[in-house]
Amino acid sequence: MVWDHECKSTQKALHSQFDFALRETVSRIEQRVVAYEQLLRGVQGLLAVNGLNHRAGIHKYVETLQLDANFSGVKEIGVEMWVPLGFSSWSDPVRRLAMEKARDSGMAAISGKVRLLVDTQKNPQPGFIMYLPVFAQGTPRETISQRREHLIGWVFASFHMNDFMASLYGKQSPGLTLSVYDNIELTEDALLYQSAPDHNGGDRGPRTDITAREYMVVAGHTWTLAMGTQPEFETRYGRDASDVVAVIGLILSVSLALLAWLMINGRTRALRLAANMTEELRHMAQHDTLTNLPNRALFSDRLNHELARAKRDNGRFALIFLDLDKFKHVNDNLGHAIGDQLLQQVAQRLLTTIRAVDTAGRLGGDEFVVLMTGLGDTDAVIGMAEKIRQTLGQPFMVDGHQLAISGSLGVAVYPEDGITEIDITKSADDAMYRAKESGGDKIAFAVSHNSKASRISI
Amino acid sequence: MTKLRHIITLWVAIAPFCLANAAATPACSRGYTLALHDHGLLYSADTDTGIDKDVAEELVRRSGCKVTVSVMPRARIWQLIESGALDFSMSGITNPERDKFAGFAWYFSNKYHLLVRKDSGVRNLTDFEQNDKLQLGVIRSFRYSESANRLVDKLHASNRVSQAGGLAPLYQTLMLNHIQGMIIEPFDFPALEEKKIRDITSIIEFNDRSVPHGLIMSKKALPAEEQERWRLLINQMRTDGSLRRIFETYFKPDQAAAMVNF
Repeated sequence: MVWDHECKSTQKALHSQFDFALRETVSRIEQRVVAYEQLLRGVQGLLAVNGLNHRAGIHKYVETLQLDANFSGVKEIGVEMWVPLGFSSWSDPVRRLAMEKARDSGMAAISGKVRLLVDTQKNPQPGFIMYLPVFAQGTPRETISQRREHLIGWVFASFHMNDFMASLYGKQSPGLTLSVYDNIELTEDALLYQSAPDHNGGDRGPRTDITAREYMVVAGHTWTLAMGTQPEFETRYGRDASDVVAVIGLILSVSLALLAWLMINGRTRALRLAANMTEELRHMAQHDTLTNLPNRALFSDRLNHELARAKRDNGRFALIFLDLDKFKHVNDNLGHAIGDQLLQQVAQRLLTTIRAVDTAGRLGGDEFVVLMTGLGDTDAVIGMAEKIRQTLGQPFMVDGHQLAISGSLGVAVYPEDGITEIDITKSADDAMYRAKESGGDKIAFAVSHNSKASRISI
Repeated sequence: MTKLRHIITLWVAIAPFCLANAAATPACSRGYTLALHDHGLLYSADTDTGIDKDVAEELVRRSGCKVTVSVMPRARIWQLIESGALDFSMSGITNPERDKFAGFAWYFSNKYHLLVRKDSGVRNLTDFEQNDKLQLGVIRSFRYSESANRLVDKLHASNRVSQAGGLAPLYQTLMLNHIQGMIIEPFDFPALEEKKIRDITSIIEFNDRSVPHGLIMSKKALPAEEQERWRLLINQMRTDGSLRRIFETYFKPDQAAAMVNF
């Protein structure tokens, strides 16, 4: 159950980071297109005033732009005059579609994937062209027919896609593969750009399950962005519970090795070595860093020990799940620093309330759990739950703030409310949820397997 | 003297009205920015026409202010509204998150629908939700009515949502069966007929109320009293029938009335 929870949390964190990376990538590309469009608008403005024949002026203007590495995507800036009888670009359907779109909308339009005219080599980079229409000065252009009537040409910029992508601001999150396709079909012919192979060399290696496609609309044209994760992404951004498991595994392995050594070489020497084990490492793996209470992993381990003992001895024990009421209000209004200190104080109060044989743990967030062992009758657990409820009802002083919170408690007893870890924890959790739903500051008991009615303490 | 008294009396009578009217129009203390987004009949970048453009032009005319209008993706619009870099946009809907940074002046209302491929076998929302093989297409940053949002959020958590920057790729991917459903509004309907999408799809209702859409005003860029002045202009356009006339250019009179009378 603990492992399953950790896996789900890890997946959620990964998806969240992936969504963020996708959103950022889309934004970076869109903004770059806008930047190039603004560049072209300067040329468009110059042409609108001076006419399309003012090539020398255009040339001087482009020189003054000092198109450095920031604009490495631009291969060429030029002018196409509108000639009714046709011209070379007009005869190319891909270019013509973009030119028509720019003309009719009056705005920038991007072409589909093209081979640029400047490319003479065998396998050139995929390219695209951005067109901006130029209309005769002083003429109306409110409608499509007016724009068609008064068009004198286009200013354009041509791009190599790889260079365009290289000029994006910001940094791509590591561990992600990125491909851009012309329009919506993900075919080899439509491929405009593919990110480099990862540092593991050669192939990109196995991918994780997180992939997404986003259909971007840039200057009136659709590009499909396909993004996927690689193991490096998961390693970097996943909440890695495997470290905890690995550390526990390491400790257990070392313990077993020491036990074997003990049997061979004598108890005293083995005990000394065991005592010299990295206590800090073990403690870190088993305890919640904020409150120093046993974490889920250690608590689960103790619960299973108690289950085994109770089964063997026909004994009883109780599980109390605790959820703090009004904690979110404290976090939201006073900040996480205050919230963290409050959790630490709650942990201390729990420790001073429970018996020495009991275990209190923190499951995460504002959820805690208490394991009451060696239970005689249920009066003891009722008494303990009530004691915990009352101690939480006392005001807390945190950093000069007096805070009033309470607790919703759910109680489950072995064996009546479950005989496996999953059953008994579910019973206690359900009971806690009922206490919460009935207004908080309450104790609820699990519905036992003997079908006794559940009771909610008021 | 009597004449002077009459003039003074008349001025005292009408002054509050004049002053109120003067105070009612925006201050025009600077140039403003307004962004449109490409979305069906609301605005088409291909033709540079649409309801939002017409409403914006009438609003700007009545304000007497200088407003620079541009076109950008909806996600970028919300980002700039929140940061205060953009003053206005059009046809936005509210929610608790947006309320923190945006004010609104409502000018129409409509319901949302789920458009699904007939061959997906979907008869109701639950069918779509429960079939893991079905993918929903949405426009990035769009939010909808309550049930629609719930569906989107649930499917997003299961990686069953494909995002797009506009409607055009969603229509294409729906036709190619890369997605099996998308959320639409009344101003998307003409495109469905034109692109033959309606022939292969069916429409499922979300059982939600009609959602008001309005002029979006950045709270960071525009003080509350300034927003109120722009809101007054929109209300005047509603009251004097200008809005209805704009909508009737694009919809039948009964449809237009249903959208602007709310």
